[in-house]
Amino acid sequence: MPRLSWKTAAKIAWREGRASSVKFFFVILAVAAGVGALTGVRGFAASFKQLLLKEARTLMAADVSVRQFLLPNAEQQAKLAEFEKQGILRTWITETVTMAATERMPDPLLVSVKAVDPSEYPFYGEVVLKPAGLLAAVLTADQVAVSEDLLLRLQMKLGDTIKVGGIDFRAAAIVEKEPDRMAGSLNVGPRLMMSRAGLERTNLLRFGSRAAQRLLFKLPPEVKGPPDAVNAAKVEKIRLELKSTFPEAMVIDFRETHPLITRGLTRSTTFLSLVSLIALIVGAIGVAMAIHSHVQQRLDSIAIMKCLGANSTQVMRIYLLQTLALGLLGGLLGVLFGALIQAAFPLLIARYFQIAPDFRIDPSSVAQGILIGLLATVLFTAVPLLAVRHIRPILILRRDMSETRLPWRERLRRQWPALLAGVLILLGMAGIAGWLAEGNWRDSARLGLFFVGGLAFSLLLLSGAAWLLLWLLRRFQQHVPFWFPSALRHGIANLYRPGNQAGAVLVALGVGVMFTLTVYLVQQQMIGQLAASAPPGMPNVFLIDIQDSQKDALVKLLKAQQGVTREPEIVPAVAIRLKTVNGKALDQLELKGFERRFLQTRTVTWYDTKPDFVEMVSGNWLAGPNDVLINEDAAKALKAKRGTALQFDAYGRTINVQVVGTFKIEQVRMGSGVEFIFRKDQLAGLPLNYFGGVRVKTSQVAALQRASYRQFPTISVINVADVLDIIQEVVDQIAVVVRFISGFAIVAGIIILASSIAGTRFRRIREVAILKTLGGTRRRIAAIFSVEFLVLGALAGLLGGGLATGFSYLLMSRFFEAELGASLLPVIVAIVGSALIANVAGWLASSRILAQRPLRILRDE
Amino acid sequence: MKGVPPPSIVEVRALKRRIDTGSHTVEILKGLDFTVPTGQFVAIMGASGSGKSTLLGLLAGLDTASEGAIVLDGVDITNLAEDALAQVRGRKIGFVFQSYQLIPTLTAEENVLLPHELAGGDAQGVTRARELLERVGLGARMDHYPVQLSGGEQQRVALARAFMTRPPILMADEPTGNLDTVNGRQILDLLLEMNQREHTTLVLVTHDHELAAYADRIITLRDGLIVSDVMKVAA
Repeated sequence: MPRLSWKTAAKIAWREGRASSVKFFFVILAVAAGVGALTGVRGFAASFKQLLLKEARTLMAADVSVRQFLLPNAEQQAKLAEFEKQGILRTWITETVTMAATERMPDPLLVSVKAVDPSEYPFYGEVVLKPAGLLAAVLTADQVAVSEDLLLRLQMKLGDTIKVGGIDFRAAAIVEKEPDRMAGSLNVGPRLMMSRAGLERTNLLRFGSRAAQRLLFKLPPEVKGPPDAVNAAKVEKIRLELKSTFPEAMVIDFRETHPLITRGLTRSTTFLSLVSLIALIVGAIGVAMAIHSHVQQRLDSIAIMKCLGANSTQVMRIYLLQTLALGLLGGLLGVLFGALIQAAFPLLIARYFQIAPDFRIDPSSVAQGILIGLLATVLFTAVPLLAVRHIRPILILRRDMSETRLPWRERLRRQWPALLAGVLILLGMAGIAGWLAEGNWRDSARLGLFFVGGLAFSLLLLSGAAWLLLWLLRRFQQHVPFWFPSALRHGIANLYRPGNQAGAVLVALGVGVMFTLTVYLVQQQMIGQLAASAPPGMPNVFLIDIQDSQKDALVKLLKAQQGVTREPEIVPAVAIRLKTVNGKALDQLELKGFERRFLQTRTVTWYDTKPDFVEMVSGNWLAGPNDVLINEDAAKALKAKRGTALQFDAYGRTINVQVVGTFKIEQVRMGSGVEFIFRKDQLAGLPLNYFGGVRVKTSQVAALQRASYRQFPTISVINVADVLDIIQEVVDQIAVVVRFISGFAIVAGIIILASSIAGTRFRRIREVAILKTLGGTRRRIAAIFSVEFLVLGALAGLLGGGLATGFSYLLMSRFFEAELGASLLPVIVAIVGSALIANVAGWLASSRILAQRPLRILRDE
Repeated sequence: MKGVPPPSIVEVRALKRRIDTGSHTVEILKGLDFTVPTGQFVAIMGASGSGKSTLLGLLAGLDTASEGAIVLDGVDITNLAEDALAQVRGRKIGFVFQSYQLIPTLTAEENVLLPHELAGGDAQGVTRARELLERVGLGARMDHYPVQLSGGEQQRVALARAFMTRPPILMADEPTGNLDTVNGRQILDLLLEMNQREHTTLVLVTHDHELAAYADRIITLRDGLIVSDVMKVAA
């Protein structure tokens, strides 16, 4: 049985590889870009997770924490007192939003308030103040500590007076660091820390308040163990007790990472991993292109080997070994890049994460990155490797005659291994994407298929568009008049010379440009859309924490304000909990997904008479003392209808009612999401308040805020524009990180371009020799090549930019129901930028070509 | 008494080869019939475009006939699949080409060893490879790459390679075509000498009459047909 041993195959592979080292070097770099991004992202995530676990106590500032949006009731207070008797220390943090203003800046600003007991908080970690000082000394009843940006926004300095909820405080220090900031409910926007005594002065914390309450617990240390050791079983017992005492709360202890942070980390890791995978796929396409062109250049060697008795499989060994070597070297180099990226990540996210993990290489991320790099490379190279089968040994004797044209059915039949390889590539990529996604296998599989479907679609679209562009260029070229500058004509013609891989380069570069630009366009458009015009009919100013006693006066004030274009919408609200439906407890109702919201406290409302905007879908309006109305969606979720008995728990009181009808409220109204309508008398004694919205001319919003703050300092008046600013800040930050990673796809694409140009080096050298012989100057020759590189880059930019515009339009209209404004500038920047970068890369890859002496080249023929 | 004719090692029957270029069909070989007895030196001659290289390609199993049959050393190769053809080539045919066709990334010794390795040979092959290289005068250049050898030297390596597996048939396509007179002469002498020593059947394609004069038999092609088939008269 004839065989080409692996040893000989490796020998040939190695020596051929050395001869093509420049071209292969670029390809290794391209793979390294993708693997680097992947290992960097996942390495950082792994070390961040380690940090979350290691620093769990500091991040919580406690051993155990309980968080809910209700004040503890009497029963819960009693339970807390029992814990105290066990030696468990406790402290209480309240987080809410309110309005703050100064003399100099009377326009009130929405701020996040965090009220702590400075004599106990934090149990772990420390609060760093500027100027340095003890928290207990700074946070007296009439002093606060603020964030640096709050000072800027309110144009104040330390020592000035700030009015919070209508009460004066002295800004005594800047909060530089809080150990549990990430665990907090609101960690964006201007911040303010005060003592509990201070909070009481403001009257912000009233019965029925929906502010976030966090109870922190410090457990007593084990007697025999080291000072900080705590009995794990005791922790579990306490945790279970707390969970049963506070059923609506999120209870966390130091043995686990904070679920909210972890969830955010997991999702972002998955997303960024997939973006890195795109970069890696571009690199793998580059390897496939390099192997393809390499095989084409080795036709003679392959043919002679077949002449001498080697079969296709044996010949493929050589190029398979080269592929494996490229993938492995790219992977190893990528790991080095990944370490750099991992070190850079903390800088990117410094704004929101004040702690950074220690730099350590995560072996499993490294192994995963190298393996995925190798797998992707081998999968994509399957197609050019299979082409080796079709190299016929007769090429030795004759290359010029075209072959017998086979019928299309026969041609298709011969291509089945390549088609199978294509299917394997898709499945392989889906598998890799699924592996990178965190979560159960079903979710991962689905994500993998979506990813590969989207990618395959994009690649097909890119390939089709690239082909079309090149075809148009060729047609243009054929009709161009003679006086058209020759450098332009020759440069463009170079794009479709035999062996030039312009189409594949356009796709490789286009992917990165398309992805990065799509992210950018969506980000710009989304915020722009929301900021430019709130949907017609929607209020653009929200008011919260309106008390019953303030309601009428507030409405009067609002109506009297200039610029208020419509009747203000004020909605009554109280938060109570549904306990049973027709006597059955809620947890026996098999509620799924979003239906499970009924297990938590919900906001309900009341009206004495039917307002116009409430539409009765079935049944009658409230008549009897125990009547209640339920909205359509809630009725479906709870399987409730007329006659269904509902039992609610409201601050220790039981309310029994019966459904008499279902309703719906127009989407654009305030409170359209409310699910139950009661009568006011049914809710007597409960902490009733209101929230509302009003539509105001943009120029008059500040005046309205000032007027409302003067009269009602505890009512928060939120300008939607301010909220959007905060959202924009967060989105910008996220976008920076996403663009950083997707930039690697562009880098990979540029490397592919350089590699492809390097691959045609010898042909270019010959061309230069012939042109010089025929009278071409170096300048003219340089112009021809420059045109080729610039046009290639510009086409890639046009391709990527055009498709990005299309995709962002689709995303905006489908998911955000917004119109896409025409935005040519980013596309123009993409075209010009790509062209310039391609030119630089092309010349770097063509170094010293112009310096070759013609005779030496021609003689070597 | 007439001697028993030697068995045929090459049999060609009604051989045709057509090419479809898309716009029209070209018939390169229009029906050839001949046999080559074992041990004969046959020269195939003809002008450019006569079909001689195509014929050699078909005889060597490098190409597929449109019609007819070819039998090599008892094996009908007409409809064999590519891998089977590769095996036949490896076992039965040695090649010498006009442009040497050495693997550029293998040394002279490794190039000579290649057919032996492909045929599943053992370590003994190294000894034979070295002997062959000595015989062609390149004993001191065994570890040189093709790029380090002159044209004549490369063709000598190709010769050594062709005889490596002791094939029954040797096929040569213009073996001196790229060489000057002196080198060409040397190659021819080597070819003939090794051919005699190894007892191969030699099929040589050439347009050089001087070269063809050494053959036992000259088959001349014109326009895809055999126009003459002349045996050299024994001296």
